[in-house]
Amino acid sequence: MAFNLDRRHFLGLAGAGAGAAALSACGGPSTAGTGAATAAADIDFSGVKPAASIDFWSNHPGKSQDVEKAIIEKFHAKFPNIKVNLVTAGANYEEIAQKFQTSQAAKSGLPGVVVLSDVWWFRYYSNGNIIALDSLVKQLDIKVDDFQKSLIADYQYEDKQWALPYGRSTPLFYYNKDHFKAAGLPDRAPKTWQEFAEWAPRLKASSGAQYAYIYPALAGYAGWTLQNNLWGWGGSWSNGWTFNCDSAESVAALQWAQDSIFKDKWAGVSSKEAADDFAAGITSSTISSTGSLLGVLKSAKFNVGVGYLPGGPKNESPVCPTGGAGLGIPSGVSKEVQLAAATFLKFMTEPENTAEFSAATGYMPTRTSADMTSVLAATPQIKTAMDQLAVTRVQDNARVFLPGADQEMAKSAAAILTQQGDVQATMTALKATLEGIYTKDVKPKLKS
Amino acid sequence: MTRQLTDRPRAVVEAKPPAAPRARWSSRTRRDFVVFLALALPNLLLIAVFTYLPLFNNIYYSTLDWTLGSASATVVGFDNYVTFFTSSDATKVLGTTAVFTVITVGGSMVLGLLVALALNSKIRGTTFARSAVFAPYVLSGVGVGLVWLFIFDPGYGVLAWLLRGLGQQSPQWINDPQLSLVMVIIVYVWKNLGYCAVVYLAGLQSLPQDVMEAASLDGANGFRRFVSMALPLLSPTTFFLLITTMLSSLQAFDLIRIMTPLGNGTSTLIYEAYLQAFGAFNRAGYSAAISVILFAILLIITVLQLRFVERKVHYS
Repeated sequence: MAFNLDRRHFLGLAGAGAGAAALSACGGPSTAGTGAATAAADIDFSGVKPAASIDFWSNHPGKSQDVEKAIIEKFHAKFPNIKVNLVTAGANYEEIAQKFQTSQAAKSGLPGVVVLSDVWWFRYYSNGNIIALDSLVKQLDIKVDDFQKSLIADYQYEDKQWALPYGRSTPLFYYNKDHFKAAGLPDRAPKTWQEFAEWAPRLKASSGAQYAYIYPALAGYAGWTLQNNLWGWGGSWSNGWTFNCDSAESVAALQWAQDSIFKDKWAGVSSKEAADDFAAGITSSTISSTGSLLGVLKSAKFNVGVGYLPGGPKNESPVCPTGGAGLGIPSGVSKEVQLAAATFLKFMTEPENTAEFSAATGYMPTRTSADMTSVLAATPQIKTAMDQLAVTRVQDNARVFLPGADQEMAKSAAAILTQQGDVQATMTALKATLEGIYTKDVKPKLKS
Repeated sequence: MTRQLTDRPRAVVEAKPPAAPRARWSSRTRRDFVVFLALALPNLLLIAVFTYLPLFNNIYYSTLDWTLGSASATVVGFDNYVTFFTSSDATKVLGTTAVFTVITVGGSMVLGLLVALALNSKIRGTTFARSAVFAPYVLSGVGVGLVWLFIFDPGYGVLAWLLRGLGQQSPQWINDPQLSLVMVIIVYVWKNLGYCAVVYLAGLQSLPQDVMEAASLDGANGFRRFVSMALPLLSPTTFFLLITTMLSSLQAFDLIRIMTPLGNGTSTLIYEAYLQAFGAFNRAGYSAAISVILFAILLIITVLQLRFVERKVHYS
């Protein structure tokens, strides 16, 4: 059948197009209001009955699937009327965030409890995706005061609690004790990077490893661990909402890192996971999360030592950021689901369960009353992570509050550490990018 | 049939059939139309719901300032397009897309043709070789990406091990943005050249043997026969491959996602659209605008295909 585009057909097609456009405008976000409700109002849960079943979305931080299942089984024994379905919602924090955000857009399939990382929870808050937990904390008598102060404070904003700490970590300095011994070095982490720079040539010469030190993979949160270098030199990604990654101190810190690779040639950059490179013997030392501790201890065929992060020429302490994940409750599910989720959230973070989780992964216990005696007897290295918590520093706003900033930091780090790019120019460009993100995506959502 | 070898064969384009005269529908035509609707409507509905509705949705979203996950958005008209084309992103992303597409299309076609010529020769083991060459094309991109990542790993990859044997350090394939693009292109060409090889092989086997023999009798050597006879006669195949591999390269996603999740140096249009919406930024409106730009490019290529390929440039 021949088809000629005459006036009638044209009008028909135009009508169909307009209809489709109108139909498409019916879906997606609302353009009527000025912004998402932030779910900041206290929800009244009196008279609400917990749902019979909830989903728990996790990426099993620190290969924790087995211990998560074990704790869920204990929960089922104590609360037989609430079934928790453990869902693998991604392989890392970014994938779980992707699934959570798309479910928000689809307005369906949301879980009762979701794992949220240090760089994602604020976005969920500003989009109104999670609820304030205060009324549930009160109703279920969750002992907020018993949590590690710095960890629970990470999820407080506008005088409300938006999540509870779960798989929380700090970076640790991992070193190969055998390599250190062979190089005649003391059995400890270096106090400063300058001290390590003196050790590194001896270490590389005697160990046979490719590197004395390997920088964490750029795709694996370079912005997180490089804060250690920046802070040690007196710099930072940002100071409050002032972006000073191009300051003389910040540039000096990253110039030193670049020199360790290209000029002094004792350092490298991991391609995938620094902890795996370390356990495989490619490097004599690295910095990686405490969540990698148990995995490293299991797979390394040498004596593993851990220590505090080294300081720099300006600051020896505090130069260690906290990190890791917490647990939150979506705003887009029913009150019944939210109440059941809070019941599970309380159970999951109780002292004996956080100790069990810590023993299985190396993550820090989040409760001060957690009995860690048997855990520390089996894995004494966890004590280093616990003690280091006292000298941690709150992360730079630029990294944790700006969407996509971590990725931009990783790209800048790649330019400096793998392409030997000009440090000052790279940091100046990064500053402009961060300011752009702040102005467009964050500033309008901040309470004045 | 004989032909002067110095003359290039002339392309003949099929003439468009004359338009049918317009007539009022008879009752039989109406009945046929009802049958047509009954048969086609379910499929048309599916296509409308799952293809055209998302397309129109996407165009609509491209006019919004919308953070993925947020229930509200602001209408910004063409701002997202203006932002893209006035930012450094546009140069970077369009440049990466162009480099990736040109090299992967050119590489797959040239290597595919060479492989097809080798497979077309009468030597032992060609059946096995054909299967071996085509196998990567049907393998999962995710699996291929993971295996090649291990090969390229500068720490404990096979390539690094070989280079260390030669006293060389492995390049930073994964962290260095420029080398990342090279790495992804190598793997993409390796995976897809089998497709070009098989299509070219079919083209080579359908070449008129009498023409080739005549050229041979006229004294043309193998190279001359290939350049002056086989290549022009293969032009419909080349056109077909050019269009299909170009469309495929512009939509390449799995290898880039698996091998370079940050997209540092490998962010083509389609991957940038993904990163902007589903990566760290959650800029759903901006991402939709990039998708529409990609759609426009694909549409232009498809129109070119309809113009040049469907009308079958061929030789007689």
